Amino acid sequence: MAKWGMVIDLGKCTGCQSCSFACKAENDVPHGSPEEQQQRRAPFWHKVFAVSQGEYPTQRINLIPMPCMHCEDAPCVVVCPAKATYHREDGIVIQNFRRCIGCRYCIVACPYGVRNFNFKDQAVEPYHRPDLPPERTDKGIWPYPERVRGVVEKCTFCFHRIDQAIRDGKKVGTDVVPACAEACPAHAISFGDLEDPASEVSQLLASRGSFRLREELNTEPRVYYLD
Amino acid sequence: MDLTYTTIEGKSKGYRTLVTVLGVLVAVLFTAFLVAYLKGQQVWGISNAIPWGQLITLDIFFIGLSAGAIVVSGLSYVLGRKEYKPIGRMAVFMGLLIFVGAMVSVLVDLGRPEKFWRLFGYFYSNNMTSMFALNSVWYGGYLLLMIVYLFLALENKTKLAMIIGTIDVLWAVGVHSFTGAIFGLIGSREVLTSPLKPFEFITAALTSGTALLILVVLLTFKLSKRYIDKKVIFSLGRLLSVIIIVLGVMIFFDKLTHAYYPAREGVMFLFTGPYWWLFWVLQIGMGILIPLAILFHPKAGKSIKGVVIAASSVVIGVFGERLAITIPGTAQAQPLYPGTIEGVWGATGIFRITPWETALTIGIISLVALLFVLGLKYLELLPKSEPPPEEATAAAAPASETKPDKAA
Repeated sequence: MAKWGMVIDLGKCTGCQSCSFACKAENDVPHGSPEEQQQRRAPFWHKVFAVSQGEYPTQRINLIPMPCMHCEDAPCVVVCPAKATYHREDGIVIQNFRRCIGCRYCIVACPYGVRNFNFKDQAVEPYHRPDLPPERTDKGIWPYPERVRGVVEKCTFCFHRIDQAIRDGKKVGTDVVPACAEACPAHAISFGDLEDPASEVSQLLASRGSFRLREELNTEPRVYYLD
Repeated sequence: MDLTYTTIEGKSKGYRTLVTVLGVLVAVLFTAFLVAYLKGQQVWGISNAIPWGQLITLDIFFIGLSAGAIVVSGLSYVLGRKEYKPIGRMAVFMGLLIFVGAMVSVLVDLGRPEKFWRLFGYFYSNNMTSMFALNSVWYGGYLLLMIVYLFLALENKTKLAMIIGTIDVLWAVGVHSFTGAIFGLIGSREVLTSPLKPFEFITAALTSGTALLILVVLLTFKLSKRYIDKKVIFSLGRLLSVIIIVLGVMIFFDKLTHAYYPAREGVMFLFTGPYWWLFWVLQIGMGILIPLAILFHPKAGKSIKGVVIAASSVVIGVFGERLAITIPGTAQAQPLYPGTIEGVWGATGIFRITPWETALTIGIISLVALLFVLGLKYLELLPKSEPPPEEATAAAAPASETKPDKAA
């Protein structure tokens, strides 16, 4: 079984936020008002944040795009009391909206702050994507078109694209990638099978030094950053 | 039995006013719940930065009070200390009702309260590695044990009450330790993570439970014009001072451990961050220093007034301690990447006090108070009102008259 992972080249990232934007469109994540964004109530499945190091003349700014880390040893999966969040066989950490009771324990436990609570009924927006809505054979999980209020949601690595690609016999990582990777104009985001030594992500990881966020917690994230 | 219990009349004007006021506040609770259920949790002060707010604070505060009250009731029913007999039944009843309040607040806090049953589908619909799911065993069992315990206490089945009481006291310790584990086991939040949390929780529970029991006993005995031996209150006060010292030592070493290691951002955030006053003023000041100063003062510690002030201070202080866990525990921005994270992703979470969430909090407290006041009228919780207990047996006739009425 493939283990999906993502490699983000920080040297290529320009901070244009196309990835965040594409994610919002793909997964129909509500934009939220400026107040809601300030209060950290607007859901963000993917975000880009800036980190500054040092003072002005010698200051350095890093731009970090950040989806869910899809940790191998995910704290959210351990603490979820309702089996609403779990690992798929391919390593993707999934949030099942039908099972979620909205206790928000996973938000407390997540070391990366990638989980979002749905605070209100979101307005139903027209479908923006050029292709058809995803097949809803897996009705329990997919939020679209009816989003559920009072549950926690997060990045899914666009599992609907991956599943569709496998059904169609396309190659994940080259033909089909998550929306954020597809939208990146600088090709900073690569996606693929971490266990396949021939995949682009494995090649990239072998070629250069990489790190993961908050590695000291030993959560083993599947999102790698190239220096 | 040399001690008979009775109900209160419950016909005075004051009693009726109290029931009406509390009833109105409970109606506010239902309104606030409906508003949150229909409009979503946006009407509360919580956010993705601080996901747990007033209701979880109230929940752990109540569980603590309940565990404390049950442990103190053990002095009478388990250890068989005669002097605590007059307050034994009340302590059990208080433990039960406050725990019901805790369960109401955690249920109301869920995003989808109608799905709470998933926690009770052991191994099938719940995940037993989660502290919440484990606690469904502790909480469910605790509720049942307390109902049986109260029944046995009311029926004067002393032997059985001792057995069930012993189990219940131990179970209460487990309940609150595991409640502490909900927070202590979260490794990614520096303010929360600590192996001492369960012990700190149970000690804080004992202080707040004892303190609230002192207050409730004095208040009900005064309002229903009953006599209580002052020695009971002073011995509870001495017990309180000992547990406060244990709690203080525990907090000191917990924070010292966190501050000693170079990665001390979490504890520094708690000490000097925007929520410093929750820790220093409420948790340390009102929860530990002020009550200790009063209880050890040669004059104030020997007066009922002094004990009352100390006990009130402890109750508020322990509530502050709970706030100092839930709010700063998650408000601290997570160190995702070395350096200063700019903008909203690196900002300290701001908890806003909103009317509907506050209404829920006050409503749940009122619900517990209302059930308690009604319980005094319909259950035989208080000892008879005559000051010397010997004379009370002579006037037992009216009490035995009321008893069949209630049973019928």
